Amino acid sequence: MLKILIPTTMLILATWLTPPKWLWPSSLLNSLLIALTSLLWLKNASETGWTFLNPYLATDPLSTPLLILSCWLLPLMILASQNHTSHEPINRQRMYITLLASLQFFLILAFSATEMIMFYVMFEATLIPTLILITRWGNQAERLNAGTYFLFYTLAGSLPLLIALLLLQNSNGSLSLLMLPHLGQLELTSYADKIWWAGCILAFLVKMPLYGVHLWLPKAHVEAPIAGSMVLAAVLLKLGGYGMMRILVTLDPLTKELSYPFIVLALWGVIMTGSICMRQTDLKSLIAYSSVSHMGLVVGGILIQTPWGFTGALILMIAHGLTSSALFCLANTSYERTHSRTMLLARGMQMILPLMAAWWFIASLANLALPPLPNLMGELMIITSLFNWSPWTIGLTGLGTLITAGYSLYMFLMTQRGPAPSHLLALEPSHTREHLLIALHLLPLILIITKPELIWGWTA
Amino acid sequence: MNPYITASLLFGLLLGTTITTTSTHWLIAWMGLEINTLAIIPLMAQQHHPRAIEATTKYFLTQAAAAATLLLAATTNAWMTGQWELQQATHPVPTTMITIALALKIGLAPLHTWLPEVMQGLDLTTGLILATWQKIAPFSLLLQIQPNNQTLLILLAILSMLVGGWGGLNQTQVRKILAYSSIAHLGWMVIILQFSPTLAVMTLALYIIMTSSTFLAFMMNKTTTIGTLTISWAKTPIISSLMPLILLSLGGLPPLTGFMPKWLILQELTKQDLGMTATLAALSALLSLYFYLRLSYAMTLTISPNNLTGTLPWRTQTNKKTLPTAILLSSSILLLPLTPEVLTLFNT
Repeated sequence: MLKILIPTTMLILATWLTPPKWLWPSSLLNSLLIALTSLLWLKNASETGWTFLNPYLATDPLSTPLLILSCWLLPLMILASQNHTSHEPINRQRMYITLLASLQFFLILAFSATEMIMFYVMFEATLIPTLILITRWGNQAERLNAGTYFLFYTLAGSLPLLIALLLLQNSNGSLSLLMLPHLGQLELTSYADKIWWAGCILAFLVKMPLYGVHLWLPKAHVEAPIAGSMVLAAVLLKLGGYGMMRILVTLDPLTKELSYPFIVLALWGVIMTGSICMRQTDLKSLIAYSSVSHMGLVVGGILIQTPWGFTGALILMIAHGLTSSALFCLANTSYERTHSRTMLLARGMQMILPLMAAWWFIASLANLALPPLPNLMGELMIITSLFNWSPWTIGLTGLGTLITAGYSLYMFLMTQRGPAPSHLLALEPSHTREHLLIALHLLPLILIITKPELIWGWTA
Repeated sequence: MNPYITASLLFGLLLGTTITTTSTHWLIAWMGLEINTLAIIPLMAQQHHPRAIEATTKYFLTQAAAAATLLLAATTNAWMTGQWELQQATHPVPTTMITIALALKIGLAPLHTWLPEVMQGLDLTTGLILATWQKIAPFSLLLQIQPNNQTLLILLAILSMLVGGWGGLNQTQVRKILAYSSIAHLGWMVIILQFSPTLAVMTLALYIIMTSSTFLAFMMNKTTTIGTLTISWAKTPIISSLMPLILLSLGGLPPLTGFMPKWLILQELTKQDLGMTATLAALSALLSLYFYLRLSYAMTLTISPNNLTGTLPWRTQTNKKTLPTAILLSSSILLLPLTPEVLTLFNT
C-alpha cells in the first residue's frame, strides 16, 4: 500500500517544489506513474481474497477496481483542469493540485481500510478537499449553496452511521472488515435495532445518492469545477456503494425485511431522474441526473444481496465512473469554448469539432449501455437478478433502460447534430490534451470488455 | 495600561485559577474564583469605551451572582454535612446548587446569555482569556463534585449544544460566534463529565488549543466581523488559507483534531447505552458547523474584490511573534492521527 501512498504524498511535495514551467507536466507524469503502479493491486492470488495485507490496510477483489479507478482519475483530473486554472496565480494552481492529490490519498485510505471506523474517518475526510474544490474553484455564486448542501446532506446521513458503528463495536467487539463476515448473525429483533439498521445504511444511501436524498448531487455537479465533477461522479459516489456492500454482511437478517422501501425508491428514482434528464436544458445537470439514475440501479442491485446483484453493482459502478467522468470532460470542453452549459446554445458541434463528436458518440453510447460495453454487462446483471427477486421489477428497470437510451440520444443529438449555429463558428479547435483526456477515459472502458473478470468483485 | 499593572493582573489570573484547582476546601476554592474574577475585571475595562464597560459590568454581575450562589451552596453543604471538603459534597441540594452556579460561571445554557454579550464588548486578547483560561477554574470544580443527578448535567449539556449551534446561526460578529461556539463545546465537555472525567479534560484542552488558534488568527487579521474577514486573504494569505481547516476542526470534521474529542465522547456515550443522546449530540454539531462553514466561506472560499493598495499588507514583513500561532495552528489541524498518544497523556 505504501508504494502508492508515499508517492501520492510526495506528489504534494513535488507540486510545491517544481518550477512553474514544469508544474503540470511533472504532476501529470507523477500521477500517471502512480496510476500505473496501482495496477499491481490486480494481482490477487490469495485464497481469502485479501491481499497486500497489513495491520490497517488491505485490498480484496471488491476494493481493487475502485482503488485503481481512484488512482486512474488523478492524472485525468490534472489533465482536465490545466486549461481553466491557467489564468490563476501559480500558487493557487499548486494549491489546486495539492487538493486533488490529498483527495486521492484519502480515497485510497478509504477503499483499502480494513476497519469500519477507519473507513468512516476517511469517508468523511474526502469531504473537506471536495468542499474546498467546489466552493473555492466553482464559477458561480451558487457554488456556496451547493457546498453547503453537499456537506450537510452527507454529514446528516453519516453522523448516525458513526453512532451505529460505535454501537456495533460495543456489541461485537470488532469492526474489522476481515472479521465481520465471520462473526455470525446478530440478534436483531427490537425496534431500536431497526433504527440502528437505518443508521448503518442511510449514510451510504445519501452518498450514492438514493432518489429522495439526491438533491445535493446535481447542485454540486453543476457548480463544481471540472475536476470536482469528475471525481464526484467517478469515485465519491462509489464510496456509498462500496460502504453499503461492506456493511450489509453484518445487517443480514434485517435487510431482507427492511430494504423493500429503499429498493422501490431506488427503482422509482431510475425512472424519475431519467425523466428529469429528458427535459433538462443544462448539460452538466443532465449528466448529474443520469448519475443518480444509474446509481439507483446500483442501489437496487446491492440491496437484494445476491452475488449477481453485487457483481452487477460493482461493474456498473466502475463503468459508470469512467463514462460519466468522460461525459463531464466532454461537457467541459464545450463549456470552455461557449462559456455556457445550456445545450440550446452549444448545439450542432459536429460540424465544428468533428473528432470531438466521435468521442461524444462513444461516450453517449456507453452511457446508454451499448453491447458489449461493461455498462451493459452491469445493467444486465442487475436487471436479471432483480427480475429473479421479483418479476415486477422488469417494468421499472425496462422502462428505466428505455429512458436512459432516450436521454443519452437526446443529449448527443442536441449537442452534436444539426446545423451549426452562426454564433459558434469562431470556436477554438480541440486540443490534443482534450483528445488524450477522453481517450484515457474510454480506452480502459473498451479494454475491460476483453477481461471483465477484473471488475467482477467477489464472484470472480 | 502600565505593564506592571498588566503583569500583576495576569499574575492574579494565574493565582486565582491555581488556588481553585489545587484547593480541597470550598472556601478556598471560592476565594480562588473571586481572585480570578477580580483580576480580569480591570483587563476587560482597559478600553475606555461604553461597550467595554458594559461588558465588564455584565461579567461582574453574573460572576458575582454565581460566586455568591456557590458560597451559599458550600455553606449549606457545611451546615448539612459538617465539613468543607471539596470532594465530599454529596448531599443532593448543595450539589445541584453548585452545579447550577458553576454552569452560570462557565456559561452553560440556559445560563449562557451573558457570554456572547460580554465577549462582544472585549478586545480579542481579553476575549481569548475569557474563552479559554477562565473556563479552567470552574471546570475543575465541576470535575470534583459528584452529581447524583445525571439528567441535570445531560440536560444542560444537550441544551448548550443546541443553543450554541442555534445562537451562532444569525450572527455576523466573529466574537459572538466564538462565544456561541464556546457554549456548544462546553456542552460536549459536560455531557461526558460524569462518565469519563479524563475525556472531559481532554476535550477542554483540545478546545483551548483550537479556540486559541482561531483567536490568534483573528488577532493577526484584526478581524471582528464577517465583513472584515473577507479581506483577510490580502493580509495573511497563508493563515487565511488554513483557516477553513481550523474552523472545520472546531466543527469536528474528520480527519482534523476536532473530531477526536467528539469521536471519543460518542464512543463513551454509546458504551453507557445512551445511543439516542449520542445521536442528538452528534447531529447538534451540524448546527455549529453551519456557522463555521459560513466563516470559512467568507474568509477563504470566496475572494472578495480588493483595491491594489489593499493587497499590499502581505508583502510587508511582520514583527509579531508567530511561533505560538504556528504551533497552535498545526496542532489544531493535525492531532487526530496522534489520538492514542493524546489519550495516554491525559490518562496518566
